[in-house]
Amino acid sequence: MIPDQSEYDIRYTKMDDLPFLHKWLAIDENRLWYPVSSDTDVENMSKNWIGFYKYGASLTATYKGDIAGIATLFLMPYRKVIHHCLMYFIVNPEMRRKGVGTSLVKNVTHLGKSYFRFEWINVEVWDGCPATSILERCGYKEVIRQPKYIKKKDGTYLDRLLLQADLKEEANGK
Amino acid sequence: MGNKPDVTFRKTDKKDLPLFAEWLLQKGVLVGFPMSDKKEVEDAVRLWNYYIDKGLSITALYKNKPAGAANLYLHDVEKMSHQALFVIIVDEKLRGKGIGTLLLKEIMRLGKKRGVELLHLEVYDKNPAVRLYKRLGFKQFGRHARYLKDDQGNYYDKLVMQMEI
Repeated sequence: MIPDQSEYDIRYTKMDDLPFLHKWLAIDENRLWYPVSSDTDVENMSKNWIGFYKYGASLTATYKGDIAGIATLFLMPYRKVIHHCLMYFIVNPEMRRKGVGTSLVKNVTHLGKSYFRFEWINVEVWDGCPATSILERCGYKEVIRQPKYIKKKDGTYLDRLLLQADLKEEANGK
Repeated sequence: MGNKPDVTFRKTDKKDLPLFAEWLLQKGVLVGFPMSDKKEVEDAVRLWNYYIDKGLSITALYKNKPAGAANLYLHDVEKMSHQALFVIIVDEKLRGKGIGTLLLKEIMRLGKKRGVELLHLEVYDKNPAVRLYKRLGFKQFGRHARYLKDDQGNYYDKLVMQMEI
């Protein structure tokens, strides 16, 4: 767990957080679990991701002033789909297994429910992704499994899992 | 003998884009799409430019005039480039002539040529095209409940289908 809770904070993401997001996405281990392969993909995804800060849809965790992780709601572009969104999160590799991911997912899910009034939030992960246990702990459940969505360099495939947190039912006490 | 076929294909020209918007805005068509109005349709159609530049968009001609189009959303990300989502739109006035089926077969050919192993699609509940997709070998792998919500508060499920080509 986070050793000193008084030094831990969650704030809205700023454009200045971009270099951290970019650096973490570029790590080989992370490239496996996010929709990026090349350096250009990392560049494109991190710019697209950070852009949601403008809508107040992204949270950054800090510990002792350093950036510990980012969780973001990717808002949908059309009216018929604005009742839900896709979420991504990432944790500073040096701050893993301290509860940062769980804290970020809980907070950003709450933001989606209370401010954006989403009926649910989706997260896409590839089968075997270590972040799945964090998401399940925060109430996300698999709703769709798409076979062979990812093709690894060795020619083997990974399924894409769409996990979902239903917020409307929870709000209605169902 | 020697009759020219009524339906032919060519790579999409950017000049076709206003027609795509026109077809999408025909009465009742948007029920099956996530867009709601002209502005959203124009935004969506603008995205096709990227795929036209990459040769991933096909226009069907019926008696030499544009009658429908298909777009292959091939990923730039290498580990996802073996699979692609696609979309098809046919001029409402020319439905029932098999143009959709022919476009789908054409997009499969294009996909194979570009190294695609898996084609997938998203279709909304009650869309009659589901029958066509099933007939051509697509298997449903999921249903996303209440994916679309229209201005009246009605929900539509999204069905997701896939096939190996």
